[in-house]
Amino acid sequence: MQTNNNRLFDRGLLRHLTFARSAAIVAAMLLATLALGVPAPVCAAATRFAELPAAWVDDRGQPFDLRALYGRTVVLSMAYATCHRVCPLTIDHLRRLQSEFDQRGVQAEFLVIGYDPEADDVAAWRQYRRTRQLLRSNWHFLVGTRADVERVARQLGFEFWKMDQHVIHDGRIVRFDERGVLVASDAVSGL
Amino acid sequence: MRTTNYAPAMCARAWLGAVLATGLGLTPAARAAEDDKARIAELEQKLDESLKMIRELSHKVDALEAREAQRTGAAAAPAAAAAAAAVPAGAAPVTPATAPGSAAIAGPAAPADTAARVTQLEETVSQMAANAPQHPEDRGLAMHGFADVGAGTHNAQFPQYQGADIAELDFFLTPQLGAHTRALFELNFEVGANGDVGVDLERAQIGYQFSDALTVWLGRFHTPYGYYNTAFHHGQWIAISLRRPRFIEFEDHGGTMPAHTVGLWLTGSQRLGDQKLTYDAWIGNSQRITGGTLDMNNAGVPRGSVMFGGNVGLLMSGALDGLKVGVDAFQTRIENQDVAPPYFTQVQSYGTYAVYDTDRWEDIAELHFFRNTDLTGHTGQHDSHAGFVQLGYRAGRFTPYARYEKGSFDQSDPYFAAQTDGNSYDREALGLRFDIDLSSALKMELAQTRFTDRYVTSYGEALLQYAIRF
Repeated sequence: MQTNNNRLFDRGLLRHLTFARSAAIVAAMLLATLALGVPAPVCAAATRFAELPAAWVDDRGQPFDLRALYGRTVVLSMAYATCHRVCPLTIDHLRRLQSEFDQRGVQAEFLVIGYDPEADDVAAWRQYRRTRQLLRSNWHFLVGTRADVERVARQLGFEFWKMDQHVIHDGRIVRFDERGVLVASDAVSGL
Repeated sequence: MRTTNYAPAMCARAWLGAVLATGLGLTPAARAAEDDKARIAELEQKLDESLKMIRELSHKVDALEAREAQRTGAAAAPAAAAAAAAVPAGAAPVTPATAPGSAAIAGPAAPADTAARVTQLEETVSQMAANAPQHPEDRGLAMHGFADVGAGTHNAQFPQYQGADIAELDFFLTPQLGAHTRALFELNFEVGANGDVGVDLERAQIGYQFSDALTVWLGRFHTPYGYYNTAFHHGQWIAISLRRPRFIEFEDHGGTMPAHTVGLWLTGSQRLGDQKLTYDAWIGNSQRITGGTLDMNNAGVPRGSVMFGGNVGLLMSGALDGLKVGVDAFQTRIENQDVAPPYFTQVQSYGTYAVYDTDRWEDIAELHFFRNTDLTGHTGQHDSHAGFVQLGYRAGRFTPYARYEKGSFDQSDPYFAAQTDGNSYDREALGLRFDIDLSSALKMELAQTRFTDRYVTSYGEALLQYAIRF
């Protein structure tokens, strides 16, 4: 009888323990999510165009030196060629900006830096431009080294991470004025 | 329906995983990054103050020099003229005042040496800021993830349940280890068939990237057959649809193909003009069947048998931009440990796939053929096949999709007969993905599933899923 009581007690205790375990796991998951999910403030560490790495390759395969753009207004964003969710929104946003600039008579250079130089090479960007009719000469799609891409992203507050063939990222556009000073930084909410 | 018994060891793993996940999110590394940010901010503030002071001093020096020049008057003029004559034409020193991009910092009248010092100081701090860690990622720790919850007339993975469910919480750790070394760890908390939460190290792979054309991975990875198994993973946010096709579900969710392999994986791509060739080749532990479920033998195989395979794809360009076609094949020897003595089957799979992925369309089709040989009972060869077609159309926030899938598995084949979910079936599904914002999506799906041989039955489903990434 004593044994049976103990067994019953044990079963009840086990049920409680199982519940407690599950609750603890869920609590731990929530804690982890809270700890990780609080968005870190996105801030640009570089506020001057001259601080960005200068040497890139454009979608024609030619060396592209950012210093050639000193003294001009520059609109800059980052993208990857096989992105079909966020990057099309960013590109649409850039097109709208270009139209606004055209209406106001503002001259600007549009730079799109590839997040993933391993997947998005010169040919990929060339194809991207052709497919989407992004053929204006003041638009430049740039390929860099992985280190330079990560550095620019860090400097300008573009947060991204690569997972398999996907690049997980948000949409963001920054603008430098003619003095090379960062004057605007917008998230592309898009939706 | 199959039920998996989560042993106490699983609970212990769950605890360990939960503690790990929580700990990783709150490690001193994260706090150290905050400290560094504060330190950089402080340095930048000091620099700004120094620049301000230098500018003020420069102005004072200018004013003093101007007064001195006025006082000395004509006596200094010949000397200045001589000095100007000594500088060759076109060799004027470039000061920050004349250099584009620096005009905002240096005052127009700053003397050359002061300007040079300012420039040097500025570059130093810029480099420090650029090189110093800003985020936990920069300290070698990057952690991201996905999660989804849902509700429905059936559970999307375990149809014996209905109502609301938590599906999974999937953590990704992608530490940055240098220019060539890569690592990926995926820790997944998921509900099992018995309704308990378990934890699995879904992927644990460390690799070396020699070039774009070759990366070598060692560890546990998604077996690179077809397209879907490597393009999509445990976090459902990334996929348009609400769940994977049934036959390529993960092993513990009833998948009948070996979704994971523990071994060596070579992968890369090579341009062929505007087109791109992708390839995968892998060799690893052969799988086993235990508890009616495929298992990838994480610890190794007792009898040394291997799985090996390859996948070649071609990414088109021009008018066919967004289209990828490919073929794959693998062979493995599966040990069924649910019977004594163990039963062995040689599994050979040949697949083909086509994907059309553009800003508007995401269409995927896969077909797999199996020619399996009974190595123990000598019942000969058995042919089976499975495939699916999925069409998705992106229209702003909304992405409607449709999918048809079918698995026709020979039930006299010991490989499929031994698996709890190895029965033949077909399923139609219509769904809608609604992107609430860039990191969360709501998905709805109506589906009809028919089981056609081991037991003949069908059921309809109305499913809802809320998926996020972080």
